[in-house]
Amino acid sequence: MEVKKTLDTRGMACPMPIVKAKKAIEELNPGEVLEVIADDPGAKEDFPAWCEQTGHILLEIKEEGDVIRVYIKHK
Amino acid sequence: MGNGDGKKKIAMVVSECSFDKALMPLILGSSGRALDAEVHIFFTFFGLNLLKKGFKPKLKGLMRPFTGMMIRKMKKEKVPVFEELIDQCRELGVKFYACSTSMKLMNVKKEDLIEGCEVAGAATFLKIALDADVTLFI
Repeated sequence: MEVKKTLDTRGMACPMPIVKAKKAIEELNPGEVLEVIADDPGAKEDFPAWCEQTGHILLEIKEEGDVIRVYIKHK
Repeated sequence: MGNGDGKKKIAMVVSECSFDKALMPLILGSSGRALDAEVHIFFTFFGLNLLKKGFKPKLKGLMRPFTGMMIRKMKKEKVPVFEELIDQCRELGVKFYACSTSMKLMNVKKEDLIEGCEVAGAATFLKIALDADVTLFI
């Protein structure tokens, strides 16, 4: 999996991670992958919901302690 | 429901201007835009104050003197504060409506309002709400 862009939202609180992710993914082309690093406790639930609603494809969520890495493919 | 192009539509009415009532619609509004939904927020009665240039919402009642402390805590925790949320909502394309009757009652002129909001009446809001997927009264 080739990551085109990484967005670090560590320290940010809801709703900033998904707002930033929306802006970041809009800069990518279809098929390209965005990696989001987040430590907001709601992010693990929010990113799947965001993907389901927007149609972008959730590839994987990796958990590393309190931090998650979310891989999202532009629809 | 929705507007026929598959996009979801969220409508909110805000009738108070306290700190909590100010933040909730703006957080939900910017999240709604991030979810690709249309977001319309109608500000009426005291809620109209939130659209006035330079207005700073305060915590309610006895908590009021602690507003500054709350803002510092929010900045420390990187929670966006009111002014940032207003700017963010406008940048993301959230639609703001100022209630025309409230403007008359509270002597608010169009030029007193922040840029980018529309003056509208109940019918405008209801037309949006009738077609919305989610309607919230805040």
